[in-house]
Amino acid sequence: MTHLALKNISKHFGEFTAVNDFNLEVKKGEFVSFLGPSGCGKTTTLRMIAGFETPTNGKITIEGQDITDKAPSQRNVGMVFQAYALFPNMTVAQNIGFGLRIRKEPEDSIKKRVADMLALIHLEQKGDSYPYQLSGGQQQRVALARALAIRPEVLLLDEPLSALDAKIRVSLRAEIRAIQRELGITAIYVTHDQEEALSISDRIVVMSEGEMDQVGTPFEIYNFPKTVFVANFVGSLNTADAEVLDPENGLVAMDGVQFEAGEGTSYRKKGDKVKIAIRPERFNFASEQKKANVVDCTIANITFLGSVVRIQVIIGKTKFNMDTFNNPFLELPRIGDKDQVSCSREAVLVLND
Amino acid sequence: MNITTRIRKFPFWSWVWFLLGLLYFVMPLLATFEFSLGMERDVIGFKAYQTAFADPEFLETFGYSVFLATMTIIVSIILIVPTAYWIRLRLPEARRTVEFITLLPFVIPAIILVFGLIRVYSSPLNIPFTEVTLIKPLTNFNFGTNVLIVGGYMVLGLPYMYRSVDTGMRTVDVRTLTEAAQSLGASWYVIITRVILPNIRTALLSGALLTFAIVLGEVVLASFLGIPAFGPYLFLLGQHRAYEPAALTFATFLITWAAMGIIQLITGGQGQAAGAH
Repeated sequence: MTHLALKNISKHFGEFTAVNDFNLEVKKGEFVSFLGPSGCGKTTTLRMIAGFETPTNGKITIEGQDITDKAPSQRNVGMVFQAYALFPNMTVAQNIGFGLRIRKEPEDSIKKRVADMLALIHLEQKGDSYPYQLSGGQQQRVALARALAIRPEVLLLDEPLSALDAKIRVSLRAEIRAIQRELGITAIYVTHDQEEALSISDRIVVMSEGEMDQVGTPFEIYNFPKTVFVANFVGSLNTADAEVLDPENGLVAMDGVQFEAGEGTSYRKKGDKVKIAIRPERFNFASEQKKANVVDCTIANITFLGSVVRIQVIIGKTKFNMDTFNNPFLELPRIGDKDQVSCSREAVLVLND
Repeated sequence: MNITTRIRKFPFWSWVWFLLGLLYFVMPLLATFEFSLGMERDVIGFKAYQTAFADPEFLETFGYSVFLATMTIIVSIILIVPTAYWIRLRLPEARRTVEFITLLPFVIPAIILVFGLIRVYSSPLNIPFTEVTLIKPLTNFNFGTNVLIVGGYMVLGLPYMYRSVDTGMRTVDVRTLTEAAQSLGASWYVIITRVILPNIRTALLSGALLTFAIVLGEVVLASFLGIPAFGPYLFLLGQHRAYEPAALTFATFLITWAAMGIIQLITGGQGQAAGAH
């Protein structure tokens, strides 16, 4: 059943359209990420759910109740900010208990709830500390506990890990996901980091220029992107201009080189100009594994990236990246070598521009 | 670490400028203090202080000025904190205009201000086109004159108070703190009193200190409005005495700092303010 719904939401700032006709239904307990570059409207959408911005058009409901015109303080929505936003004059315990005191809950129940929240974020010993005495990661955990303490209907997280270093980011995102699962709370997470979105979400909404480009599970978004933008934004991708040769059999040609695509051609006509996209990890050397598409190539460059070796090959006149897992016994070709690479039909994506 | 590195790391010029600045501010104070001790020939003592403090007019005028300063600080906080807060939160485009307005007391002398106040408020406020008086001239009764002078002092202290408050708000990112409090269900009253004010306490205190000092030493407004304040008293005393005004100036300086210290002590037990660490 739908818990949070955004119906035909738009937001204009004067002439500028920040969000355009945004529709989304989120189930109870679902973790949905808004993913996109800066200025794509993801934070504006989140702020409209929180009540900090008013939609120009559309309706927002929680459990069927219209909250579009409610003040932020009346929505029972918890929010975690990028800059932590802990109250510097209050201790950790006072910060966590702030929302409960506003609700005039009995002091005993506040104390218990604060203790539970401190245990949840593994900071039992830090109740009397002030925010400035904590590390960034600890502060953000306190901000999370503070937002959860009020038992919100929806938890909103606005790039909560952006200000933290890489290692803490990875561990904290796992912690956020574990806590969200444990409490079964509906969560909306804004990020521009595709790895973060892929690793943490039940569903991802990829946004660009105020519009939803695609909504799907991380698996769908990564493996079956619907637009060039989604494919490019999520993971790395080789793209090239091509022409449809045989729509029925999925044949396309790029620089005179033929590729057989899994889908995306059946509704097109012969001669249509399209973009084909192939992820670097979907290529193999033809000698390793025979697949539908076997094409001639020249080795242009080899880059060692630790766990992965990126080999740049020229197919026709276009450069493609091919990723292969590193191992100590890997026999790498030399730059300038002629070889053959292959990929499956499904690896060749025919995309809308 | 070798000695050369240590010497290189020692911020020599920073310390030179700091000490020069310190001397510039401390020397006149020390000179005043030293002068105030020499009332009796060939004896260093506190005679000037005894004489000055024994004058009942001193206590009267000083107490009155402290009262006016306190009122000025309270009214300034009530007016300036919400204004600065709203500008940071909702009207950032108005910031330049308001900053310009707050700087006007630097370019408009106090004498112009006081003549303006007298010109406007020495006539009664009538209902338009009638002879019915709503408010009689403010300059004609004590409460009215007090209102006028507190208003005038507030204008004189505006640049200091506004800038202190605005800087304090910038330091703690009031916008995000406000949104965090709102999402937790807080009303505007709770946000201002429990989140914003405690976090700009240091800034408020510095603004209050400057306002207090301005009011205690102010002469022009008080003289022209005929208010028995400390500034005119000190000025008159200086016309025919030498040592007592020096003693009172130094004592006033100490009292101002002590008053601020007490405020800091009273309000300081609630944990660290954001700007204080």
